[in-house]
Amino acid sequence: MSLEKGSSRIFLQAILIVIFSLAIGIIYNSISKEGITVKGNWSKKVVSDSLIVPYSYTKDDPPAISLGQAMTYFQTHNVIFLDARLEPDYKAGHMPKALNLPFEEFEQYYPKVESLLSKDKNIITYCDGTECEASLFLARLLRTKGFKNLKIFFGGWTEWNKAGLPVQKSN
Amino acid sequence: MKELIGNKWLVVLFRLIVGITFIYASLDKIAHPDQFARVVYNYRILPGLFINIFAISLPWVELFCGLFLILGLFIESSSLLLGLLLIGFTIALSVNFLRGVDIACGCFTTDPNAKKEGAWLLTRDVVLLLMSLQVIFYNRDFLSLQKAFQKKS
Repeated sequence: MSLEKGSSRIFLQAILIVIFSLAIGIIYNSISKEGITVKGNWSKKVVSDSLIVPYSYTKDDPPAISLGQAMTYFQTHNVIFLDARLEPDYKAGHMPKALNLPFEEFEQYYPKVESLLSKDKNIITYCDGTECEASLFLARLLRTKGFKNLKIFFGGWTEWNKAGLPVQKSN
Repeated sequence: MKELIGNKWLVVLFRLIVGITFIYASLDKIAHPDQFARVVYNYRILPGLFINIFAISLPWVELFCGLFLILGLFIESSSLLLGLLLIGFTIALSVNFLRGVDIACGCFTTDPNAKKEGAWLLTRDVVLLLMSLQVIFYNRDFLSLQKAFQKKS
């Protein structure tokens, strides 16, 4: 067996390969147009006690709303909730009357819900919870389609369900 | 059976398969570090501080080890590193499989397609891991640059 040749030499070489790759990676990243910061910021941002948004949310994105605000909108009629999760998750439980428009399968599902959407109504996107960004990406996509009254409920299905609010299941 | 598993041609074949697979996998990650960093983030295992440096350096480890395996240089060390990476990937995938996280979006899901995808990735990683182990234990420097260098010196 080749390991008999000397395992300490093998481990030393492996460490050197890692150090070499790390150095090349950092150098290439610093000169590449696609380069990223070495120290990334992937933590969630706390906007207020009731509002936490993912790291990728910026001030240019549609406004984020809290669970309380989502409940208030829910009681009005001039609102459409869009569930950005995949269909099996939507079917297992979603906010009442919410439409399913999975961000990952946008092109396939958009034609199905397009006629139900109105540019005059408030559209609120949500997904699994703060860890999930599908609601944010869906809102960004919808903005490119000309929708303006967009809002994002980052607490999503997790917060809504935990609060014991009404839910609906689809078959 | 042992002779078959330790066959020198099989070692070369596995070196090529593992090497080409990792070179192929590394190129897209090197070209799009931002997208790869998001994938690492979606696994929800590494602390945020280490995500970018991991995304910057890991593809180069894959690329160099893949090249070394094909050329026949530092064969055992490269195979060891790729084997360790594969163990890491397998653990990360299994953890997320059990947690019900869809790696594609980093979100929790019950989607059966996401589970199928996870099962396929797991199988692939385990097969590649077995090939790496075979190379580590049975390499005899057949068709390798390191043997050519040894002969010269």
